[in-house]
Amino acid sequence: MTAPPEHRLAYPNVTDGATLARAATFAADAVVVGSGAGGATAAARLRDAGLDVLVVEEGALERTETFTTDPATMIRRLYRDAGTSLILGRPGIVFAEGRCVGGSTVINGGMSWRVPERVLAAWERDWGLADLGPRAMEPYFAAAERILHVEPNHEDTFGRNTLAFLAGARRLGWPVARAPRSMRRCVGLNNCALGCPTGAKQSMLVTEIPRLLAAGGHLLTHARVDRVVFRGGRAAGVRGRLLGADGRVRGRFTVHAPLVVLAAGARHTPAILKRSWLRARTIGRGLHTHPNAKVVGIFEERLDPWIGTHQAFHIHHFLDEGILIGYAAVPPGLLAAALPGFGAAHAARMRLYNHMLTAAALIEDEGEGRVVLGPDRQPYMFFDLQGRDLERVHRGVALTAELLFAAGARRVLLPFADLPELAGPAELPRIGARPRVARGIELMTVHIMGTARMAPDPGRGATDPSGAVHGVPGLVVADASVIPTSIGVNPQETIVALALRSAERWLDARAPRRAAVRPPARGPSTS
Amino acid sequence: MALSRLGARTLRAAVAAIRPRGEGFDQPLDDHVLAEIAAFLPHLPGPMRRAFPLGLWLLELGPPLFAGRWRRFSRMPLDEAQRYLARLAEAGGLLGALVLGLRALTFLAFYQHPAVLATLEVDWAGRAAALVARRAELLDDRPA
Repeated sequence: MTAPPEHRLAYPNVTDGATLARAATFAADAVVVGSGAGGATAAARLRDAGLDVLVVEEGALERTETFTTDPATMIRRLYRDAGTSLILGRPGIVFAEGRCVGGSTVINGGMSWRVPERVLAAWERDWGLADLGPRAMEPYFAAAERILHVEPNHEDTFGRNTLAFLAGARRLGWPVARAPRSMRRCVGLNNCALGCPTGAKQSMLVTEIPRLLAAGGHLLTHARVDRVVFRGGRAAGVRGRLLGADGRVRGRFTVHAPLVVLAAGARHTPAILKRSWLRARTIGRGLHTHPNAKVVGIFEERLDPWIGTHQAFHIHHFLDEGILIGYAAVPPGLLAAALPGFGAAHAARMRLYNHMLTAAALIEDEGEGRVVLGPDRQPYMFFDLQGRDLERVHRGVALTAELLFAAGARRVLLPFADLPELAGPAELPRIGARPRVARGIELMTVHIMGTARMAPDPGRGATDPSGAVHGVPGLVVADASVIPTSIGVNPQETIVALALRSAERWLDARAPRRAAVRPPARGPSTS
Repeated sequence: MALSRLGARTLRAAVAAIRPRGEGFDQPLDDHVLAEIAAFLPHLPGPMRRAFPLGLWLLELGPPLFAGRWRRFSRMPLDEAQRYLARLAEAGGLLGALVLGLRALTFLAFYQHPAVLATLEVDWAGRAAALVARRAELLDDRPA
């Protein structure tokens, strides 16, 4: 039997930190912290320009051909904290992110939307980001789409849940948007959130990372960066800890590099900056969470939601109100946690698993939270849902429930502890009547951003319009931290596009120095 | 991560109260669920991992305080234990978070067991094997 090409990829130049001596030292022209959408993109661009690049990744290199459909196993292998992270506040928001080579691109749905033009225009107008308008960003989005291999799903991958979602939208007269996704001939397994065993999802694990390595870039896995080190007022590398395969600390490492690129995600990038004794008040502020409220429709007929692709369509009809509606098939063991009850009551609901359509409203949040360092020097996130965001959650849930009833659902399960279920469309006004309190709303997110945002004024953002940390030469950021506001759509393509744009500017700024001094490529050395 | 005898007893009682019953979900999987939960514990964030034994202790000795019952949690009848857990989950706070976490892990381990997936008529793994081969064929057939 032949195997998909992603099962046969070569990963040369990888050093597993779990196998190194107790202390290790590396040298490179650029060290990139994190191998997700931003880190892998930036690293590949820097390598293309001739720099000796070392990518440092806290997680392991988990190869496509080893992926399975067992959530418990894959969550432990691919997710930070085994998927148990929480954004503290009212309400608490469950947060998940990848911790593996390829980062969250390995566990996302591959959605590849551009930033809505009204948001880009607001960045230009309100944030003084002159080169981030729709016209200026167009070539970067186009390049990002080539890297991500963006295409729509083939119709032979549509399951009954997709058809039901479409039918509901059609009955209500809501236009649907065919989702552009990062994939190469998806066959509709719908295992995106646990790693794609077919290799169809074009995550960084199967695109920019192997390309970078083949071009001579290096990758160090099982290595967690603690802080940036400085020399003469500029960034000079990073220090961190080597981890065993069990996640326990087993040694220390240092990377010497005149260019430090932080791409550890919107939670850990500000934490590294704070642990590096950078004291700008803007670091860690501006957290946006793009919260996701799940709504489950229970149908008379079987939908077999596990057969067919993941989110072939979205509804963007309400995007100007800050609401995006999508759907997904969630494995039984994961969906079960979102359904109310214990014991027999829970069993009665789960028996109907094959009759369920899981949809969700994603909310473009205006409120801002923050990332702070705890006494253990680890980052903790805080965010309170209030004001217009709270109203939007209710409106989004009501619209999603309306869609499910229009699609034929007999009952709809809601993310409200005090209003867990609607028995029919006549009960939809009960959502509008619910008191606007955050407590008791069940939310989750995989889209945090904004904690080292770009702004020309250091008083408003931690980074300048090229992602460089204000006042610290040689230190730049290339992940969702730099996104100035909530963008209302999945951020993968935005992160890639901004990383491409920023990398161009870092290289331009570095050009005169590189012409004078071009150090030879050096592999990792240990001591 | 080893639990004390009291902690292990509390965890077993919690799994027994949380796991589904009836509707074809009566597979004797408590040992499997406990083993899966144990496999997750080392992956939890440090503070959560360190607080876990304390949380179990509070859960065990909490009924007089949180449910007005002079009885340990692990000695409660099933329906009473379920009501106690539901009340803690609704109340929120750290103990509520512990109950929700245990609930999520119990359901994850239980409903993803092959015997339960068969009851649900879900064969994700079989479909994966077929689709990996299918995609390889499709890409092989593409003109160069």
